[in-house]
Amino acid sequence: MSSLTKTLILAATLVTVSVQAADIKVGVAEALSGGAAQYGVPIRNGFQLAADEINAKGGINGNKIQLVIEDEQGKKEEAINVFKKLIFQDKVLMIFGPTLSNSMFAAGPVANASKTVAFGTSNTANGITDIGPYIFRNSVMESDVLPITVATAVKHYHIKKVAVMYGNDDAFTKSGYDVFKKVLADQNIPVTTTETYVKGDVDFKAQLTKIKAGNPDAIICSALAEEAANIMLQARSLGIKAPFIGGNGFNSPKLFEISKQAGDGTFVGSPWSNDNPSSANVNFVNAYKKKYNAEPNQFAAQGYDALYIAAAALKTVKLSGNLEADRQALRDALPKVTINGATGAFKFRPAVTKDGKPGGFDADQKPFIYILQNSKFNLFTGKN
Amino acid sequence: MEWLANFWATYSTLIYSIGVYALVALSIWLTLACGLLSLANAAFMGIGAYVSALLSLQAGWPFWAVLVAAGLAPAGVALIIGIPTLRLSGVYLAMATLAFGEVVRIIILNLEITGGPEGLNGIPQSTRGWHIVAILGLAVYGLARMRRSRTGRAFEAIREDEVAASLMGIDVKRHKLFAFVLGAVLAGVAGGLNAHATFFISPREYGFENAVDILTMVVFGGIGGLVGPMVGAGILTLLPELLRFLHEFRGIFNGLVLILVVLFLPKGIWEPRRIRALFGLGPKEG
Repeated sequence: MSSLTKTLILAATLVTVSVQAADIKVGVAEALSGGAAQYGVPIRNGFQLAADEINAKGGINGNKIQLVIEDEQGKKEEAINVFKKLIFQDKVLMIFGPTLSNSMFAAGPVANASKTVAFGTSNTANGITDIGPYIFRNSVMESDVLPITVATAVKHYHIKKVAVMYGNDDAFTKSGYDVFKKVLADQNIPVTTTETYVKGDVDFKAQLTKIKAGNPDAIICSALAEEAANIMLQARSLGIKAPFIGGNGFNSPKLFEISKQAGDGTFVGSPWSNDNPSSANVNFVNAYKKKYNAEPNQFAAQGYDALYIAAAALKTVKLSGNLEADRQALRDALPKVTINGATGAFKFRPAVTKDGKPGGFDADQKPFIYILQNSKFNLFTGKN
Repeated sequence: MEWLANFWATYSTLIYSIGVYALVALSIWLTLACGLLSLANAAFMGIGAYVSALLSLQAGWPFWAVLVAAGLAPAGVALIIGIPTLRLSGVYLAMATLAFGEVVRIIILNLEITGGPEGLNGIPQSTRGWHIVAILGLAVYGLARMRRSRTGRAFEAIREDEVAASLMGIDVKRHKLFAFVLGAVLAGVAGGLNAHATFFISPREYGFENAVDILTMVVFGGIGGLVGPMVGAGILTLLPELLRFLHEFRGIFNGLVLILVVLFLPKGIWEPRRIRALFGLGPKEG
């Protein structure tokens, strides 16, 4: 224990020394190991890329951004520990992350109670911004994307009735289903049958046979990419011709890598488009490919944009060196930010909380609608 | 003194976790002390966590009453499933309790009131450090007294030889059930404390992975006494945090430490005889 205490004292002194430098310390708490690392790593890459760009251009009002990156493993206790370390020990100005909505539910209240901004870039669950006024996110909620996806597909295919299929043991696919259910009720589209599966299932024929019997015009599917691709393949082998409509889980190249042509005609909405021709996005895509030698994805784009949003807010803030005052000033400056980033035009929208208390801020952004054609996501323009 | 305040602010959750997991480790030690390899304690912890969280959120019970319920609810469940399953022993009991754990997880996953896979959030943060210290202290004191009592000696007799124990007039079934139920109480209270310290609970925290983690803590620490399980819980909770400087490699290092301990200290880290022998005190091992 004594060596632990010594290390901690040492760490504490190091922190006090580095605070005096003119760096702006920003915490990044993402899942860099474990199952959620597939999202956390691209997010971190997005942040690093944005920080390098901003610092290369001279930083913010002359101050460099210093990212303090920590792994929260996608676990709630770890997320709390990391948040506390960043807030109390590293004394960061604000925190980006954590990766999963569940972790935000656990760690968000810690940041909110210590009046420090927690900025999620990948938390799509409902109620995240109910935690309190210091919680921000630029991740577009499914409840903003799916109504547009469904309406576009319904118009394109003249859909009269649909079947629904979802994974009922996963927070992500289940909450996606809840949104679909509400959207279908709002848009008066009858559901022939609702089928479920659990994580790890590989055979979906029983459910698909029931779906086939209802003869739907489309199949709404709240699933992760691997499962969705298998569902598509098996649906085609059973002779189901109806197109699929999916949520955020479909946004992975795995979808068409596995499903090949079976997924063609699928509609999906996404907050980011690889092919978006805006200069901000082209710059981002090229810089990302150059730095990491890999294709960027939606999560990287949202992380990248998030740092630019914070930078825009920081530009308007005069840093006093008093940590509490600076954190508050940043919190007050953030909601006014509007930028044109890799994910398109962005602004914040105050959250409407369940109990009427002041909440945080959600993303106010228009999603891109894609259609899957010849095993490729193409931006849907109405002419495809 | 500022660094102390900082230290506490940063690491209080971690220290809470150590206390909570020490309590869970003691709960599984209790069943092991009676020769039962039960993997149900993660599920009992989950029942305690969910019952307490729901009573706090929906019924607005005071925290002490919530904690009592967190202990009693899994005890009731343990009583019901204990009677048939405790007729099994060894691997068969492990399998049955494992299956029970999965059943609990799937029930929680599919109920409306538990929030399904999305879990429960916004649980009031009522757990204070002294709650954990007091409950852990009480548990250690109670268990230490029990070990010296007729019941404790009966547990030991059952663990060493069930037939001999029953021939000596020990009611084997009843003692096993008692150990099982008491273990459920400890795990349930730990679950209640955990739920009210982390704002949020979800079914995946109380599944198979957690059951194995808890068992690992006890085996790692040593099952010879009360200190071993608590040491194991402490080290295994602290280790990932202490290894943070290793970044991507800490998972590997964590596993390495586990393997080394199992290889070279098969009776766990806390083995008083070995420690005494190390300092040249007490009887040498022959």
